[in-house]
Formats: sequence, C-alpha cells, structure tokens
Amino acid sequence: MKEFRFRLIVILGLIALSVYLLHFTYADYKNSQKLEKIREDVSSNLKKTSAQLSNDKIQTIIEAKLDSVRESDPSYARNKAKRIKLGLDLQGGMYIVMEVNTAKLLEKLAKEPDQTFNQALKVAENESKLADKDIVSVLARQLQSKGIRLSRYFGTIRETDDEIVAKLTKQSEDAVTRAMEIIRTRIDKYGVSEPSIQKQGSRRIVVELPGVAKEEEAKQLLQGSALLEFKILKEPQFTIDVMQKVDQALAGSGIADSTLKDSSEVAKAEAKKDTTKQLSKEEFSKQHPFFSLAMINPQSQTAEAYVKESDKAKLSLMINRPEVQKVIPNNVEFLYSAKPFTAQDGSKLFLLYCVNKNPELTGGYITDAKANIDPSSSQAEVSMTMNSEGAREWARITGANINKRIAIVLDGQIYSAPNVINKIPNGQSQITGMKDLEEAKLMEIVLKAGALPAPVEIMEQRTVGPSLGQDSISSGTNSALVGFLIVAIFMWVYYHKAGAIADVALVTTILFVLGVLAGFGATLTLPGIAGIVLTMGMAVDANVLIYERMREEIASGKTMRASVTAGFQHALPAIIDSNLVTFFTGVILYQFGSGPVQGFALTLMVGIISSLFGALVITRVIFEYMVYKNQHVSIG
Amino acid sequence: MRIFENINYDFLGKRKYFYILSGTLLLLGFINLAIRGLQFGIDFKGGTEIVLEFQKPINISNLRTYTDKMGLGNVELKTFGRETGVLVRTEMQEIPGGIFPRVTSAIEANINKILPGAPYKKVDSSANSITYQFANADTANQVINYLFNTEGFQAGKVSNELSNRQMIVRVGISDWIKDNLKQKMPDNAFKVLKEDKVGPKVGQELKTNAVLAVFFALIVILIYLGFRFKLIFAVGAVIALFHDVLITLGLYALLYNVIPGLNLEINLTIVAAFLTLIGYSNNDTVVVFDRVRETMKLHKTVDLEKNINDAINKTLSRTILTGTTTLLAVFVLLIFGGEVLRSFAFTLFFGIIIGTYSSIFVASSLVLEYSKKMKGKLEF
Repeated sequence: MKEFRFRLIVILGLIALSVYLLHFTYADYKNSQKLEKIREDVSSNLKKTSAQLSNDKIQTIIEAKLDSVRESDPSYARNKAKRIKLGLDLQGGMYIVMEVNTAKLLEKLAKEPDQTFNQALKVAENESKLADKDIVSVLARQLQSKGIRLSRYFGTIRETDDEIVAKLTKQSEDAVTRAMEIIRTRIDKYGVSEPSIQKQGSRRIVVELPGVAKEEEAKQLLQGSALLEFKILKEPQFTIDVMQKVDQALAGSGIADSTLKDSSEVAKAEAKKDTTKQLSKEEFSKQHPFFSLAMINPQSQTAEAYVKESDKAKLSLMINRPEVQKVIPNNVEFLYSAKPFTAQDGSKLFLLYCVNKNPELTGGYITDAKANIDPSSSQAEVSMTMNSEGAREWARITGANINKRIAIVLDGQIYSAPNVINKIPNGQSQITGMKDLEEAKLMEIVLKAGALPAPVEIMEQRTVGPSLGQDSISSGTNSALVGFLIVAIFMWVYYHKAGAIADVALVTTILFVLGVLAGFGATLTLPGIAGIVLTMGMAVDANVLIYERMREEIASGKTMRASVTAGFQHALPAIIDSNLVTFFTGVILYQFGSGPVQGFALTLMVGIISSLFGALVITRVIFEYMVYKNQHVSIG
Repeated sequence: MRIFENINYDFLGKRKYFYILSGTLLLLGFINLAIRGLQFGIDFKGGTEIVLEFQKPINISNLRTYTDKMGLGNVELKTFGRETGVLVRTEMQEIPGGIFPRVTSAIEANINKILPGAPYKKVDSSANSITYQFANADTANQVINYLFNTEGFQAGKVSNELSNRQMIVRVGISDWIKDNLKQKMPDNAFKVLKEDKVGPKVGQELKTNAVLAVFFALIVILIYLGFRFKLIFAVGAVIALFHDVLITLGLYALLYNVIPGLNLEINLTIVAAFLTLIGYSNNDTVVVFDRVRETMKLHKTVDLEKNINDAINKTLSRTILTGTTTLLAVFVLLIFGGEVLRSFAFTLFFGIIIGTYSSIFVASSLVLEYSKKMKGKLEF
C-alpha cells in the first residue's frame, strides 16, 4: 500500500496543479463574455440616448467603461496574464518582420549626394541584395574604385575611409534600435493589447500585433519618421490655474467619472457613505473631476499631475471636450510622459505636463547625442550636440529661459523636462536628471530618433483576420474533441477494461499538456492544436505496446501479477527509444521553425513527455492496484 | 478483440514482392516529380498571397479575367474553403516597374477628384511608395484623409510636424490587388481573411532552415539508432525514412491542383508535417528493431531471417493498432481541421500508411540483405 500512496500523491498533485493552472484560462473566458455583454449594453444604450455621437466617440466611451470594470476587479488582469496565450493564427492579428533600409539611410545621411553617388549607391544596393553583403562596405568599395574618398559624402575630411565605414555601420545598427523605440511608443499609444516588439539578429525587428483589426492603421504606425520637439514647460502657478479652470469646467457641466458608472452602483456607494467623513471618493470625483484623476502632490514645487495608467484615456477624453478646450489658452497643451514610473503600491503612474504648444526647436538640428557617466559626479548624463544653426537658436532659447524647464517631446510624448541652468552658447548641452545609465541611453536613442532617419522596410508580413482566427479555433477544438472520443472508444472496444484505463491516462495526458502550456505562458497555435490531436493518437502507443506484451505473457501461462510486471518491463526499451527520437525531432522543429510551427513542436514535445508519464506511471499504478486487490483486468 | 494473433507469416521470404511494390511507388514518384515537379508556397518562393471572402459566391474564371489584366504576371487563383473564398497569389513582392505608371495615375486620379485643379508634385518614389507635396499642410491633410479613409489607400503623413505638407502613399501588391478588385466588382464586397507577404531574402532563409531541419533530424536518428542498435539498423531505418518521404513527395507531385479544395503546396507547415512523419515512421521501425534485438539475444543460434520474421510477426498487431489510432486522429484532423490544416493532415495520413508499411517490410529487409552480403554474424 505504501508504494501506491507515494505515486498516487504525485499523480493527484500534478492533476491538481494542472487544473489550477488552467482555471485562469476558464476564468478569463468568463470575464471576456461578461465584458462583451457590457459592451453591447453600453453600445445600445448610447445609441438610444445620444444618437448624435460619432462612432469614434462611442468607441472611446465603451473602452473607458470596460477599462473601469477591469480596474475595479484585480482578478481580471491576473486571469488575463495567466491564461493560455493564443497565437496570431487563432486570435487574428499581424506579424511583421522589418529591416532597416540601409540604402535609404545612407542616401539620407549623405551630404550633397550627386549623380555619381546615386549610381554607386544603386549598384551597391543591388549587389548587397543578391549576395547578402553589407551594403556599407560595398558602397565604400564602389566609390574607392572611382577614386573618391568617402569623406566627400560622409563625415569630415580628417576621417579615413575605414573610420567612416565603421561609423556608418554603427549608424545603421543604431537605426534598428531607434526604429524599435519609435515603433514601440507608437504602438503603445495605439493601444494594442500585448504587442510584441523584438530585435532579430542585428538588423531586423519582429512586431506582433494581436487582435489588430484595422490593418491599414497599424501599417501606418510603422512608417514615417519621428518628430522630436523642444517645448517650454509652463510655470507651476500658471499650470495650476489652468488645471483649476479645467476642473471647474468639467464639474460645471456635470460630467464626472460617476456618470460612466451604473446608476445602481452609485446608489449603492451613496448608501454606504459615512456622513461624518470628509468628502468621499464619489463626492470628490463629482466636484473635482479633473483632480480626482490627475493627482497633484501638494508638497512638490512643480505642477505635474500624476495619472494612473488606467485613467489616461478617460482623462484625455475629458480634456478634449469642447467646453474644456475653451478654457485652455490657445497656446498651451497637455502632454503625457512617455514612460510611467511605478508607485509604491505597484501601480503605474504617468505624468501630465502643461507645455507651450509651439516648439522652440525641432530635432533636425541635433547632430549627435551620447549617454555616459559623468566621472566627477557619478551621475548619468547625455551630451547633446547641435549644428551651427541649431546652436544659435539654442543659445537664444536657453538664454531667455533660465530656470525654466524645457520638455523633450518625441511624437507627442515627453521623455524628460530638465531645468535650464545657464545659457548654452555652442550647441553642446548636458542633460542630467536621469535615474541611471539605462535611462540615459534611452534619452540618447530618443534624441537621435528625432534627428536621424530610420527608414524601415517590411520583409515579411502575415495577417490573419479575426473571422479566420475564430474559424480556426472552432475547427481546432472540434478536432480535439472528436479525436479524443474516437481514440478513447477504440481503445475501450479493443482492450476492454485495460482500454478504459488507457483512456484515463489519455485524459490526464491532455490535461498535463494544457497545464504546461498555461504554466509556462506558452502560445497555442493552430498547428499546436493539431499537435495535441496527434499526441492523442500516439499517446496510446505506449499502452498498446504494454498491453500486447501483457497478452503474450498471459498466453505463455504467467499469472496476472507477473504478466503486468513483465509487460511493463519488456515494453519499456521500445517505448523509450521510439518516443525519444520523436522528441528529438520536435526539438529540431522548434529550433528551426517559426511561429505556428514552433507551437506544433512544443505541443508535440510536451505531449510525448505527458503521454510517457501517463502510460508508465498512471496506468501502472492503476494496474498494480487492481492486481493488489486481486481484481481481474481484462485485456480484451 | 484480437487481430494478427499467433500468426507466423514468412514476410522476409516474400520480400521480393515488397521490393517490387516499393520500387514501383518510388518510380512513379520520381516520374511525377520530374514531370510535374512540386508546387512551392510563398514561404519558400517569396511573394504575396491574400485570401478574400466575398459576400456572394464567386466564379474563379470570371475573377481570372480581372486578375490577368492587373499586370502582375502569373496570378494564381484557388478556392479557399467554400465557394465564397478565394486565394490570390503572385510571386511578386513589389509592384513591377511596368505597371507603376498605372498605379500612379490611379492615385493621382483620386487626388484630382478631391482637389480639382490644385497644384501638387511628386517628390519621391521608390519600389513601394510615392511621395507627393502639396501647397500647404491643410491640403495635404485633406488629401491624406480622403485617400486613407474613403478610398482605402495606404496614405500617410511624411512627418508629424504641423507644417508638414507631404504625403507618402505605400503601394504594395496586396493593396493593388484589393483596389483593382474593389473597382472591377463593386457589387460583390469582400473582406480579407488572411494576407501574407514574404520577401525574397526571408523566403530564402526559410528554405534553408527547412532543409537544415530535415538534415539534422536524419543525422540525429542515425546517431541515436547507431548507438542503441548496430549501425546497419540505423542505416536501414534512415533508408526507410527516405523511402517514405520520397513516395509522399511523389504523391504531392501527382496530386497538386487535381483535387479541388486540397491545396498541396510545400510550405512551412508541410515541412513540419514531413518531419513529424519522419519521427512517426521511425517510431514504428524502432519497435520492430527492438523486438528483433530481443529475439536475437534470446535465440542466438537461430538464423537471422527467422529471427526477424519472428519479431515482425509478434509486433504486427501492435504496429497495425497504433497505426490505426494515429490514422483515426489524423483523419479527424482531415475532416474537421479546417482549410488551414487540410494539407498537413493529408501528408500525415498517407505518410503514416506508407511509413507503417516501410517499418514492417522495408527496414528489416534491408538489414537482412546487408547481413547476407556481409556473411558475418550479426550479434548483440
């Protein structure tokens, strides 16, 4: 009995673990259904009450409502994070591989390109396309063969060709990093859920946009160059004034966060209110709709407001209302910080600034930026260099704004707002205030992104529409269910009770496979589902080997107990050998495959391990237990 | 329930017939491969492929008259799923130079529609985009909005500066196809189910990866089996694998474009199917060899042919059974798996049948031939 207990505990433990890991997926499924219902309700409500609102506005209100529902219950986010992820071929979306167009980059970087240059560049472009050679060195060779020094088009006279080639190569590598940062911020703004942006090798960027329905808009995000601007921050007093005006405008028109809530919820909240307490959250948000979302730190000397990530969209909606726009002076605007910082309670907070609408300077005047650690102060800093025209302007701007703050804005988001300490006469600025070298490096990328081009080209693109994704999910699940039924019935018919035992092992196999996927946050793709169906067919193989052997042993006269032991023993080497090789095939597939194929390899590998466990451990325990209890197990 | 119980069939004695059967299949396969060749998907050839679903049933031959005139050369059309689905494929990744003027005039016609008489000029053009400059930022934004939102062109601002007056229009193959079809068939709206575009460099890389994957798989099998059994067994197993893959490829060459609804082209998913097939067929072979090894250890004095025959007979019911359960599972995939998995399931279905056959008959026959040639004793 003792040997049984240990194995039984392990088995039950693994089953419990799998169920636990999978319940998040089920909970998230239920949550999505609830959210869908709310979306439909709100949508039809709005259509009835305010039919004149444009489609976009309706969408934003719905999104804001859904966000507030998600926020109110932290289990929503947790369930979403821990569920099985669906591949792009199942949920629809875009998969894009981009490469920096080095030829175009060189064209834009060259000063005064002429006919000779353009020709040489074209030849270099063609050659590098065919032979996959580095275009910078090919171009260098082309120009050298014509007797022209690279410094004619790049860099300065003092630099040798080799130095320029090295610099240009670094530039094109930098371009990838720049492009990635630009794309990342834009996609963040666009609001795709769980996008993935990764570097592949030294020159490629892989972007995954799940659930992107409007493909054209998404593709637009990935083109064009980024705009870098320097804008002056308004004084704290001015900013607070404007904010109070906005607040009053919002409160006055009766628009507050509470109108977006169900009236029944508000009634409940009111009923719970303690009348002796200071203004409750409800009251506060009704009287100060702006400040309840944009929180000011009364002790700070600056006037930035802190906004929770989940409130950003709501707040932007409020600020864009016509009655609010009227009280905001024409020449200022509100901008968010690009990156949030994490508060003590773990929530992500963005900063809201008030800046001049017109930029003092744009990024085109920057020639270089470099992040490093100042040796004397051990602080991270970024050195920024401007060209002569920029330097002149910059001297004027900094001179006129000493002790004021200038915001560095990329694509409408503020990365930093350092203080102007003194007039900068020669275009060489030092920007400090970054937390560490990593933040400084980000600032370096941002400054260069606004200044230098990073033209990217789409090399591979796969888009799956949502309806096809939905279809795939249905066909996948149908196959899995029918497949399971057919295999299970077959085993039972052929091997009778032993077959039923094999079926139990089959169920646990599938459970473990799904549990592992959920536990490791792996992605399930359509081929992955095919892998599960295939595993079902192959999983019973181990059982078949064992049972056939057991039949032989029984036929040769051994007792039930001895046959069981002998059956497992003799079948073992064949089981291990054959499954191991298929496992290796799976590893190779995973290594060389991409996307959906990797999903298949993964379920295959996990399926093999789970089915081995099912056949060798679970089936064996059940058999041995029945033999121990002297029950006869019919093996057909 | 039992099948193949206590049989004692002299398989190896009849191996001549198996050689003839395999030889014929291989020959057929080679002939088909030589004459018809294989059809490669855009994963390896590069190109653009879009799948459209129309509202009303679409006639492929009608559609072909439109697509032939698009100037994209050889455009393949296939049904996808039901009669409202169409798959359009072309090898090109970029608009060919010849029809670029048509694309330009289509765009400019639209510009003239919304801004009749307004001045503008083309300032830049590349293989996949054209840039125009307008009089001021407002006109530019107007045109951009119109082209993007109303006409569905991929138009956008060159930069986000407020003073920007340039518009860049992306022109890709899929855009050109979609625009054309929208114009030619205004009464039958469509939506895009799937869109794939693979550049030549990427296509090349995917092809290399696929070949490497198959190569490594075979090496791994060779090494592992050589280690667990004798080298001759490993070689026999690998030859059997080649046999399976070649015959299945021959089937592909024979049947592509023959059965409607069955899209037999070689792409990444199919390579995965072949690798799975290799793994599965090897499974079977290993089970037989394992039995052979056991029999040889037990009956050292019995001659090899009888030992192998014995082993095959004893494992026959298991091999047929596992083959059946796996085939059932694959059959379910074939029926229910949807359009996307159909060719994948097809490969596995026939591959498993052929693989099972080769495991039982071909692999062991080869081992026997070798030992007969070598006249040495095979021992474990």
